[in-house]
Amino acid sequence: MKILNVYRSAPDDTTKKLAEIVSEGREATSFDLNVDSPDYSKLVDMVFDADQTICWW
Amino acid sequence: MSKKAFFMTRNADYSVDAMRSTLGLAVENMYSFNAVVDIEIPELDEHNKENLDWIRDMEGEVYSNVDANVEKNGMTKASLEEIGQKLRDIEIIVPYGPI
Amino acid sequence: MAKSLGIFVTNPNNMKHIVGVTKAAVAKGSNVKVFFTWWGTKLTQDPEFPALCAMDNVDVSICADSYKKAGFDVEVVPEGLTKDKMATQAQHGAIIEDFDCYMTL
Repeated sequence: MKILNVYRSAPDDTTKKLAEIVSEGREATSFDLNVDSPDYSKLVDMVFDADQTICWW
Repeated sequence: MSKKAFFMTRNADYSVDAMRSTLGLAVENMYSFNAVVDIEIPELDEHNKENLDWIRDMEGEVYSNVDANVEKNGMTKASLEEIGQKLRDIEIIVPYGPI
Repeated sequence: MAKSLGIFVTNPNNMKHIVGVTKAAVAKGSNVKVFFTWWGTKLTQDPEFPALCAMDNVDVSICADSYKKAGFDVEVVPEGLTKDKMATQAQHGAIIEDFDCYMTL
């Protein structure tokens, strides 16, 4: 199962812990939306490739 | 087969509406759960207490890792670790609103 | 055939991401459905909202109850929307059931 963790803001300890538990033992990638110019095309490709996308706070 | 959704809020301005969205999916025949994480929210009014009960009637649950929400609003206590473990079984995970 | 994408909007600070993701998905041939709820409905007042609604292969709706609770008059349809797109949380259910991929922004 491929999981994509998208971070809408810089992940704090709570977000990191939840993402870590959900991703444990699974193929996981991440994308940081909290930058000046996110590569939305790349993000959409990653979303389409994942089995599950989680957009954390 | 019915899908499972799990809403989580970390901002008190969003918690009650996230419960409403939780109920919204429950009535769409999904298993729908909610957690209030790390924050204390005010006491629920009668309408929102009914929503919480209704979520449970639809085989969902409202969790919190904050004791005050358990005592004041009847939410079910779950640690952050336990909430994370529950998320592993969920197809639609909704970190709701901003922090 | 590109996968379809549903976007559930709960955060009023994310219009840039909503537009960016939607444009990128449509450019890849995707159908996109965007549903705004709670304070997310504030984005109906964003200057970019009408253009989002007008994009080909994009379906935009909002939670009318949230819109009202956010202080707006439900009789005033935001520019870009039609009355039938002032809807309920069932739209969120439709995103989950009918679309291949799911994001919340």
